[in-house]
Amino acid sequence: MNAAELEAAPIDAGDALARRKRRLTIIRVSSIIVAFGCWEIFGRQINPLFMSYPSKIVVGAITLMQDGVLQTALVESLRTLVLGYVGGALVGVTAGLLVGRYREVEAATDWLINALYATPLVALIPLVILWFGLGFQAKLFIVFLFTLFPVLINTSIGVKNVSRSLIDVAVAFVANERQIFSKIILPASLPYVMAGLRLGIGRAIIGMVTAEFFTAISGLGGLVVKYGNNFRTDEMLVPVLILMGLGVLLTGALQRAEQLIAPWKTNEHND
Amino acid sequence: MLRAVSFDVFESEIVSLIGESGSGKTTMLRIIQGLIKADAGEISVGGAAIRGPGYDRGIVFQQANLLPWRTARSNIEFGLELKGVGPEERRTRADELLGLIGLTEFAHQYPHQLSGGMQQRVGVARALAIDPEILLMDEPFSALDAQTRELLQYELLRIHVQTRKTILFVTHDLDEAVYLSDRVIVMGTRPGHIKAVINVPFDRPRPTLTEMRGNAAFLELRDHIWQQIRPESQGVSR
Repeated sequence: MNAAELEAAPIDAGDALARRKRRLTIIRVSSIIVAFGCWEIFGRQINPLFMSYPSKIVVGAITLMQDGVLQTALVESLRTLVLGYVGGALVGVTAGLLVGRYREVEAATDWLINALYATPLVALIPLVILWFGLGFQAKLFIVFLFTLFPVLINTSIGVKNVSRSLIDVAVAFVANERQIFSKIILPASLPYVMAGLRLGIGRAIIGMVTAEFFTAISGLGGLVVKYGNNFRTDEMLVPVLILMGLGVLLTGALQRAEQLIAPWKTNEHND
Repeated sequence: MLRAVSFDVFESEIVSLIGESGSGKTTMLRIIQGLIKADAGEISVGGAAIRGPGYDRGIVFQQANLLPWRTARSNIEFGLELKGVGPEERRTRADELLGLIGLTEFAHQYPHQLSGGMQQRVGVARALAIDPEILLMDEPFSALDAQTRELLQYELLRIHVQTRKTILFVTHDLDEAVYLSDRVIVMGTRPGHIKAVINVPFDRPRPTLTEMRGNAAFLELRDHIWQQIRPESQGVSR
């Protein structure tokens, strides 16, 4: 075998790949600049009731921050989001592992999970309000519900997809059920769990804003409603953009975590 | 699937099970490992009857089946870890075995970074790590290309010389069976049964398979075994 040849080929391919990537980045950045430029220019021509434009939104954001309104809302929202998400993720992963591993658990619960997953959870909010009132608990429960299902379903699919031959390896080396779980099923399904957590964070943000709309108005969602009702479109768009950024940031962070925690999975595709 | 199958494998011996697909040779091996329960019959290792998997048997699968999230070394340590061996002893043992299979420099590589041949070497080391009485090998080289296969066959004989492990080797490759074994067990189909047990008298250490193929006695024996397998194959194709 000619080692030099083998090594040379991927490097060339890598160079071409880097060039193509750079080209795409340039296109992407220019697209952003053009879009914001157009928004700034044409946004000024439109009635400020219907649309605002970037520089005005920035000014609005500064005003909101000086008043401390934005910070308070952000903290409120994040508190609901983080607690609800962590709760939903913990329950979702645990339940997903059980549903995926044990046929009996699956038979007993899959109808309910599928039914609830198919239900637009917004429709359940009036019920949640009856149970928990309009306060923090209701919001927390809504975020929890929104997070739960994508995490649960992804985790159980991950567990079911664990290759039989890997479990055979553990059995052949005399693993007990606990060892099969911790040394095979958990690591093998990790990429799916992480994907579920990533989907879950997007859903959790939706749940949070929905809860802030429909229960006691508060947080970033509350600001959107409040400024919308007052026709202060520029200030209304500030929390919208923050929510957008939050979604991008958290999803990206989880994607990064996915690559760090399960590098063998991402590398498999690159090779 | 299997009926009235009975044979012995002696210490430090290499025995091959050969036969067409459907002869139950892989099933046989999985029963011995304890992955499948036999409806009836008895298997014992070193006089002790077996019930389910145990550390007296180490298995090498057809696909290496390494755990993709573990490095080569950590894969070798897997069985020891399940057995409850402490980390230092595990590491020493794994390093020894990495040396034995010639992959010391690849200790920290993940399976997807290793070639098929290297992966299967790690598979062999993983089975050897628990220091079993017998090594069970289920067509371990069948998924490899011809050159790599021949290299690994030669390596296996070298490892056998060094470790003196008893090996039960399932294969459908006649050359491989004759080259590696002290005895070849020919199995037939429907239901799986033993058709013949043939002694392979060639001295050890043996040269490479390519060299052995130049040996008239090797070809003659190979032909003789082929006759044992063939009648049934023709019956099937007719």
